[in-house]
Amino acid sequence: MGTINSAFSLISGALDADQSALSIVANNVANANTPGYTTEIPNWQENQPVSINGVSYGDGVTESGAVSLRDRVLEERLDQQQQLASSSSARLTALNSVQALFVPDSGTASATAGDIGNDITSFFSSFASLEAAPTNSSLRQEVLSSATTLAGDVSNAAASLNTQRSALDQEAFGVTSQVNSLTGAIAQLNQQIQTTTPDGNAGTLEDQRQQDLSQLSQLIGINQVQTENNGLSVTTTSGQLLVSEGSSFQLTSGPLGGVTNFFVGTTNITAQLASGGGQLGGLLTARDQDIPSALNTLDQLAYNVSTKVNAQNNAGTDLAGVTGTAANPLNIFSQPAAIAGSAVSMSVVMADPNQIAAAAAGQGTGDNSNATAMANLANQAIVGGQTPTDFYSSFVSTLGATVSGVQADNTAQNASVTQLQSQNNALSGVNLNDEAAAMSTLQTSYQAASQVFTILNTIMTSALNLGTETAVT
Amino acid sequence: MRVDPSYVSNLVGSLDQAQSNEQQLTAELSSGVAINSLSQNPVAAGENVLLLNQIQQDDSFTQSSNLVSGQLQVADSALGGVVTQLTQAISLATGADNGTLNAADIRSVGSQISGILDEVQSLANTSYQGQYIFAGGQTSTTPFTTSTNGTPNVTTYNGDQNVNYLSTPNGQKIQLNVPGSQIFLGAGSNSVFAALNSLVADYSSGTVNTTQAISDTQALSTALGYVSQNRVTIDNSITQLTAASDAVTSSQTQLTGAQTNLMQADVAEVSTQLSLSETQQTALEDVIAQLDQASNSLFSKLQ
Repeated sequence: MGTINSAFSLISGALDADQSALSIVANNVANANTPGYTTEIPNWQENQPVSINGVSYGDGVTESGAVSLRDRVLEERLDQQQQLASSSSARLTALNSVQALFVPDSGTASATAGDIGNDITSFFSSFASLEAAPTNSSLRQEVLSSATTLAGDVSNAAASLNTQRSALDQEAFGVTSQVNSLTGAIAQLNQQIQTTTPDGNAGTLEDQRQQDLSQLSQLIGINQVQTENNGLSVTTTSGQLLVSEGSSFQLTSGPLGGVTNFFVGTTNITAQLASGGGQLGGLLTARDQDIPSALNTLDQLAYNVSTKVNAQNNAGTDLAGVTGTAANPLNIFSQPAAIAGSAVSMSVVMADPNQIAAAAAGQGTGDNSNATAMANLANQAIVGGQTPTDFYSSFVSTLGATVSGVQADNTAQNASVTQLQSQNNALSGVNLNDEAAAMSTLQTSYQAASQVFTILNTIMTSALNLGTETAVT
Repeated sequence: MRVDPSYVSNLVGSLDQAQSNEQQLTAELSSGVAINSLSQNPVAAGENVLLLNQIQQDDSFTQSSNLVSGQLQVADSALGGVVTQLTQAISLATGADNGTLNAADIRSVGSQISGILDEVQSLANTSYQGQYIFAGGQTSTTPFTTSTNGTPNVTTYNGDQNVNYLSTPNGQKIQLNVPGSQIFLGAGSNSVFAALNSLVADYSSGTVNTTQAISDTQALSTALGYVSQNRVTIDNSITQLTAASDAVTSSQTQLTGAQTNLMQADVAEVSTQLSLSETQQTALEDVIAQLDQASNSLFSKLQ
């Protein structure tokens, strides 16, 4: 403390610094509930000491601006985990709709409507009943009505799956525009950050960019690359550039093979997006893997049951003594041309129950051996190496296991997101207690400085009056 | 390390979890079903399909066996009638063959046997629900018709040799019919109808060729033996059917029990879980209420 004047400048500097720090606290408190806001702390800097005659005198402190408390690594990990969680969550929602079509029959009601497992059993049991009285017209009618129920339920389930698939397609299409507006915003923020604060802390601009990144992470899988001057590049997880510092590249979509495909430039990245993560990843996985696999299972079931039952019916003699021929087949189900699509188009074409061939070819109409053969189809490996019931049973088990697996993944990923969020909040969130304590400290410091200022004022007055005491209030 | 300042939102997350848990448990309680979607227990859902399949097969077999047992009973009682008639015919013929009867009595025996022949033929043409039961697979064709063009009359079989079986759920096969030819035509001269027709011819004139009549009576006895043998087949089927039905019923009971265990909610367990979850929810709500008061911030302590 060289002179009284320098003491004045030191103390007024302290008052300024406290004032500035207090305004940072005020800003923190005001933004405590702003999404994406990162808490800021004052940056104190000691002024260069002044050296007079070999003695070093301190020159006080300045507050050189707020610094955001952020951890980029933590934020990036949070984004990555968010991508996984959003992906599994979108997939889980889709799978829940799929499994709602195959509600297990509790057995409390006589039979749940629409339960394909029960329909299969009823259909083949109706042939077993026909064994008892092969000419009985009510038993024959029962065969046709149970066949109609089976075909109706299978084709309804397949049609619902197709509807769900197009709904997912629509939803995925809708994500594109959100992705594009976010990448555009990130590119713009990059420009601002790079021009205004190439070296230092970008504060709220960076908060906004981080907020956009975490929103983008909910939509698609991304990688972030820090570039010079505080810039940022964003690529898809497969490496397709979406944002390069100040410029963004549009994600476009177009129909291909009956579904929406996604492109950057001319590169089709649909498959990479599906495995990349984010909501879009989950939607595409459900659209391109889960639902087609369920549909394919139903197709196989429908195709094999229809063709095998038709073939067996054509091998026998109906109540009129007629045996089916290639030209005039006695088909119960519409004969599917190929496996794909056979579930949707499964239907009963036979109108006259007397055309059911209960008797073997060449036998009298009272014979039941072909009805027995039809009933026995239920116990033969006619669908994918399994009996129809076993096939359906393993289908529901597999579907249930898939849903349950995705559910478990989703729960774990959400827990992990929550944990990372907690860690990030602990560092970057505004803690009101902290701020209250800081404010209290700064106020005390401000009061102390103003007290010193008052004393200096007295000393200064005394000096100006050359030692004569004057009352200073 | 600092505390996450947004702990209240985390607590609200836990509250949501507790509530969805309660919803699930309440749904289980109200429906009585433990598994409402495949993902709750994929293995049980698969198992359920198989169990229901077996239960339904058993159920359908029980219905079939009721239908079939009626047909078998009718066949058995028809064959019983045939046996009675044939026994009477043999005793009439034996009386006529011993040479003590006069011509008028012998002609009367002939006409009685002729009546028996008609009765047996009508029994052989027994139908059940409009289907001839002794016609093999030709159930819509009258199996036995008699031509009166020659002497003796000739009864022909119009059915076939087809035998129907009913399969039980465990794969056993139960014979449902015996072709009429096997019962009534026997082998060669052991035909019931040939023997009866011959006897009618033997006695029609009033004078008896004793040797021929005795041989024809003998043939009728042998034919009666065949009928009885084949009646045993039908009786066996009835016994098998009853045994199979019993087995199926008891298996159905077991399967239904297993299926119930698999799918039904254990009310005591679910209620306990529900009560636990509700306690948890109340506790969370209390914690949130206390923490969420703004007065808890340090700012409120500053003057």
